[in-house]
Amino acid sequence: MLPDWGQVGFLLLIAIMFPIGGIGSSWLLGRIRMRPDYPDRIKEDTYECGVETEGPTWVQFNFRYYYFALLFVIFDVEAVFLYPYAVSGERLVVVGLIEMLTFVGILFIGLLYAWRKNALEWT
Amino acid sequence: MDDLNLLGPQLALLIGAGLIIIVDLLLPIVSRQAYQGRLPLLSGLALLAAAGSLGWSLALVLTDERGEAFDGMISVDDFTLFFNFLFAAVAGAIVLGSVDYLARHRFQGEYLALILIAAAGMSLMAAGTDLIMIFIALELQAIALFALVGISKNESGSEATLKFLLLSAISTAITLYGMAYLFGLSGETSLDGIASYVANTDENRSALVLAAVFLTAGLGFKMAVVPFQMWVPDVYEGAPTPITAFLSVASKAAGFAVVMRIFLAALGEGLITTDWAYLFAAIAAVSMTLGNVLALVQGNIKRMLGYSSIAQAGTILIGLAAVAAEDPQLLLGTSSVVFFLGAYAFTNIGAFIAIIAISHKIGSDQIADYAGVAKRSPLLAFALAACLFSLTGFPPTAGFIAKIYVFNAAVQADLVWLAIIGVLNSVISAYYYLRVVLNMFARDPETDEAFTPSPYLGAALAAAVVGLFAIGIYPTPLIEASESAARVFS
Repeated sequence: MLPDWGQVGFLLLIAIMFPIGGIGSSWLLGRIRMRPDYPDRIKEDTYECGVETEGPTWVQFNFRYYYFALLFVIFDVEAVFLYPYAVSGERLVVVGLIEMLTFVGILFIGLLYAWRKNALEWT
Repeated sequence: MDDLNLLGPQLALLIGAGLIIIVDLLLPIVSRQAYQGRLPLLSGLALLAAAGSLGWSLALVLTDERGEAFDGMISVDDFTLFFNFLFAAVAGAIVLGSVDYLARHRFQGEYLALILIAAAGMSLMAAGTDLIMIFIALELQAIALFALVGISKNESGSEATLKFLLLSAISTAITLYGMAYLFGLSGETSLDGIASYVANTDENRSALVLAAVFLTAGLGFKMAVVPFQMWVPDVYEGAPTPITAFLSVASKAAGFAVVMRIFLAALGEGLITTDWAYLFAAIAAVSMTLGNVLALVQGNIKRMLGYSSIAQAGTILIGLAAVAAEDPQLLLGTSSVVFFLGAYAFTNIGAFIAIIAISHKIGSDQIADYAGVAKRSPLLAFALAACLFSLTGFPPTAGFIAKIYVFNAAVQADLVWLAIIGVLNSVISAYYYLRVVLNMFARDPETDEAFTPSPYLGAALAAAVVGLFAIGIYPTPLIEASESAARVFS
């Protein structure tokens, strides 16, 4: 038991040392002036997946995004279940179809609820 | 289709919940006016679902349908059926008890649907014979209850919800850790598989004990026993009173059902039983004492009943502690727990519904304000007094038989000390229960204005009071039902 966990602990140690080593050595080399240091505007730009940012990056996101996040999760899960069903749909025949329709029906009640409670409207 | 037939009682509740949501959503399209007056329709649907669930359970009993369903995920046996009846009946009573509260409330459809969903989750908890099924059922009822506790959206309700949510999440994590240990040791998630592992091995006993401790801690939260009771008074006070009743009766009974299922079916063999029996005995003694002593000093009747429910849970745990040490053929411990849960459901539902009716009229939850209620509404005062007598354990009420049953099990299992602590605690509890009764009957009210409960509350209260006297005077049917439920684990 312990040797197994020892290996995990060793990996953890490496995982911690890796970023500390990178950032620390860069800082240290900067301090003893072995690292070139020419900052400019493009270098200090906010990095967002390579896309240029529009306006200030410290904006607040609208609180109501969480409705959409919740709805997205529900239908994401639906899709996850629909794929394996679609693959083996031929063998599951009628029972499988009814089960899947029941599942989609339950999720549909959820969508109905979101719609009637105005969760889909932005203003 | 056999699987669906066995799952019928739970499906009836869930279909009812779905219908209520759809009707509540689509009614305003049909007619604005009908939407304003939707409460009788929605509560009627909820009662119909509860009745349908009861009827289906009855049909399963009458046609003698038993067995496993969904590849051993759930098992429909006498134990499951007992709790199906209990939870459907409690859900029906809570719906009746909520009508007055809902009349001045916005989220009527959501409230009623969530009660039915929670009840379905609870009865799946009793039915589950696989750790995964049990966990899903546990979450189903817990998430429904979070929303119900905070549904009034006021300050104390939100505080109660947050406490309930955070502590419940921690307890769920601990339960899951215990389950993970069981799975890690045995390689099985089905309770049968774990049972055969436990029975056939002498190794890893300390890890099994650890799993039992984790499960006790996590599920102790649901049963609300010391030291996992911290949430009880605040949540009971902050939640709407019908939901408090639901938590104190149904949620607790579901916790006990799962504990019995896991500990008796999976960990019921071998040396491990003596370990957890002593654990339960210690928790029972501490819960009874602490719950009763703290209930003594409460001024708010909902908080008082909260602490009293901790003490009652301790008393029920005596029966579980008595399980291991006794002769397995007798099953006195298990059947006493099942019986106590049935009797306690009638008693506590009755007490809470009486409190809803009285507090609604006098506008206060303080025990001091209950002065002279007997002069203003003799029937309500009598009903509340009967429930409080039953909670104390006076004959001829259900509480008396239940306590005798549990203490008898403890004595038979050589746990005389625990029975003595239980009896002493009953004496302490008499003080604070009877203080309310004394307040209602012996003191004068500030006004003489008479009042009566609404017909819904009256019907639920009458059913509960008749039930608790019926069980107290003629307990044989309930005893037989509990014994056949207990025989599942022999």
